[in-house]
Amino acid sequence: MRKYWSVFKISFEQEFAYRLNFILWRVRNVFQILLTYFLWSTVFSNPQTQIFGYDRAKILTYVFGIMIVRALVLSARAMDVSSDVARGDLSNYLLKPMSYFKYWFTRDISSKALNLIFAAVEFIALFVILRPPFFFQGSVVTLFVFLASIILAVLIYFFLLFLISSIPFWAPEIGWGSHFLVTVVIIEALSGSLFPINILPVGLQSIVMATPFPYLIYFPVEVYLGNIGGNALIGGLMVAAAWTGVLWLSLNFIWQKGLKVYQAIGR
Amino acid sequence: MNRAIVVDRLVKNFEITEKEPGLTGAFKSFFSPKKKEVEALKGVSFAIQPGELVGFIGPNGAGKTTTLKTLSGLLYPTSGFVEVLEYDPWEKKPEFLKQISLVMGQKNQLWWDLPAIETFELNRAIYEIPSRVYEENLKELVELLEVEKLLTTPVRKLSLGQRMRMELTAALLHKPKVLFLDEPTIGLDLVAQQKMRDFIYEYNRKYEATILLTSHNMDDLVDLARRVIVINEGRILFDGALEELVNKYAKEKIIKATLSNENGIADIQKIGKVKKLIFPQVILSVPREATAIAASELLQNFPVDDLTIEEIPIEDVIRKAFKSGRTNLR
Repeated sequence: MRKYWSVFKISFEQEFAYRLNFILWRVRNVFQILLTYFLWSTVFSNPQTQIFGYDRAKILTYVFGIMIVRALVLSARAMDVSSDVARGDLSNYLLKPMSYFKYWFTRDISSKALNLIFAAVEFIALFVILRPPFFFQGSVVTLFVFLASIILAVLIYFFLLFLISSIPFWAPEIGWGSHFLVTVVIIEALSGSLFPINILPVGLQSIVMATPFPYLIYFPVEVYLGNIGGNALIGGLMVAAAWTGVLWLSLNFIWQKGLKVYQAIGR
Repeated sequence: MNRAIVVDRLVKNFEITEKEPGLTGAFKSFFSPKKKEVEALKGVSFAIQPGELVGFIGPNGAGKTTTLKTLSGLLYPTSGFVEVLEYDPWEKKPEFLKQISLVMGQKNQLWWDLPAIETFELNRAIYEIPSRVYEENLKELVELLEVEKLLTTPVRKLSLGQRMRMELTAALLHKPKVLFLDEPTIGLDLVAQQKMRDFIYEYNRKYEATILLTSHNMDDLVDLARRVIVINEGRILFDGALEELVNKYAKEKIIKATLSNENGIADIQKIGKVKKLIFPQVILSVPREATAIAASELLQNFPVDDLTIEEIPIEDVIRKAFKSGRTNLR
C-alpha cells in the first residue's frame, strides 16, 4: 500500500509541474458550465416552466452537479496509457514489482483529488456570482447511494480508458483517434454532461441507458437530485455494477492478450 | 543454483505491418494491411553462471535487445525455454523483479519534470527497500557515479551523460543480482564512457552480480567481458572467451616496424602481406603461427629501428566473424 501512496504524492507533484496546462483545463470546464448554465437558464426563464420533470432549480442543480461529478469522474490520467503502449514506455513499469492497473488508478485518484479541490473553489465562486436556486439533497440514504454511484462511475471510466488504451498493442498508430472518438464524442454526448438523458425520446433513452456511458455523469446526478427512486434506482445501480464487472473482466482478458503481442519497441 | 540464466532454443517472431510509402500506401495498408512475420530469434541457446559478466555482440537487428527483453520478462517467447534465477521471467513475480534490472540506453524511467531524487524515493517504495539500506545504496551509487550535486536538479535540465548515470542509479537502488545493460555507453563522451565501464566492473566484482551487456563499443567488451556471445540474424555464431574469438577469426597478426633506411625495401613483401608502406613505417600482416619467424627475418635482413607485434583490431575480428557466419549459413 505504501508504494501507491508514494505514487500518489509524486503524481500530485507532477500535476503541479504543468500548471498552465492544468489551469487551461479548469478554464475549459468553467466555460462549459457557463455555457450550459445560460442555455438552460434562458429556457427556464419563466419560473413556472417545467420541462421533462425539471423546474428551474433542478435543471440548474443538474448543471452545477455536473461540475462536481465531472471533476470526480472525468478527470483522469489513464489516457496516457495508450502512448505508453504505443511508444514502449510501458516497459519501464512492467519491470517493476508493482501493479500497472493500481499504479494508474492511484494516479487517477491523485488527479481527481486535485481537480476536486479546484472544482470546489469554482463551485463556490460561481455560486456566489450567479446565485442559482440550488437543490440541496437532505436524505442521508440518497447521499449514500449517490456516493456508491460515483464509485461505480469512477471504475467504469477507468476501465473504459484502459480498454481503449489497449488498442495500440495491435495498432500503435490509432491511439489518439480512438481516444478522441470515445472521450470527446461518445462520452460528452451519452454521459449526460451536455443534457439530461431523459429529454431524449423514450426508445432512444432505454438504448442509451443500457450502455455504460450514462452511469458516468447522468445517473449519479439524477440520484443526487432524487429523480430516481425505488426499482429504477436499484435497477440502475445493478446495470452500473454489471458494467463495472464486465469491463473489468474484458480488460483483464484483453490486457493479457496485449502483453503477449507487446513488442517493447523504442530499442 | 549454478545457473543464473538458462536459455534453450529460444525463438521470437514479431508480426509487423508493412506499409508502402505515401498517402496511397497509407490508405492501402488501412484497408488491407500486409502482415509479415519477422524472425528476431531463431533458436538461441546459452547458459550463464552467477557472477559472470558476458558481452553480447552483434550488428543492429541481430537480436541482442530482443534477448535481453525476453530475459527480463517484457516479451513473450514464441517458443523455447527461458529461466532467470530459477524464475520464468514472463510471470513477472515480484520476488523475481526485485532481483533484476534492465537498463536501456534510450529509455528513461526518471520523472522528466521532477528532480531525480523523487524517482529514487518512488523506487524505494516500489521495491520496498528498507530505509537504512536505501540510504546506504543511494550514498554509494551517487558517490561512485559522481552525481551527488545533481540530485535536486529537475531531470530535464541534466545533460545526457548525467541523466544516464541517474538512470543507472535508479535502476540499481534495489541492488539487483542480475543486470541487463543495453548499450550502457551509447552517446557518452570518452571520459563518461570510462566512468561507466569502471562502475560496471566494480559492481560485478563487489556484489558478484551477473551482468549481460550489449554494446557496439569494442572498448566496453575488451575492458569488461571475459566471455562474449556473438549473435547475428537471430543465431549465435560464437560463445566463449574473447581471446578464443580472436584466435578463431584472426588468423593473422600485425607487425609494425620502423626502418632506418630504404635499402632493399622492395623485398619486404617476401616476409608478409604489406598493408601499408610509408617510409619509415611499414605494416605487415603475417599468419599467426609464422609471426615469430617473420619478425626475426625482418630483424636480420632489414634495417629495423623498432618493431611491435599486435593483434588485429577487435572490430576487424568481429567483422570477419559476421562475414564467415553469413557464408556458413548459405
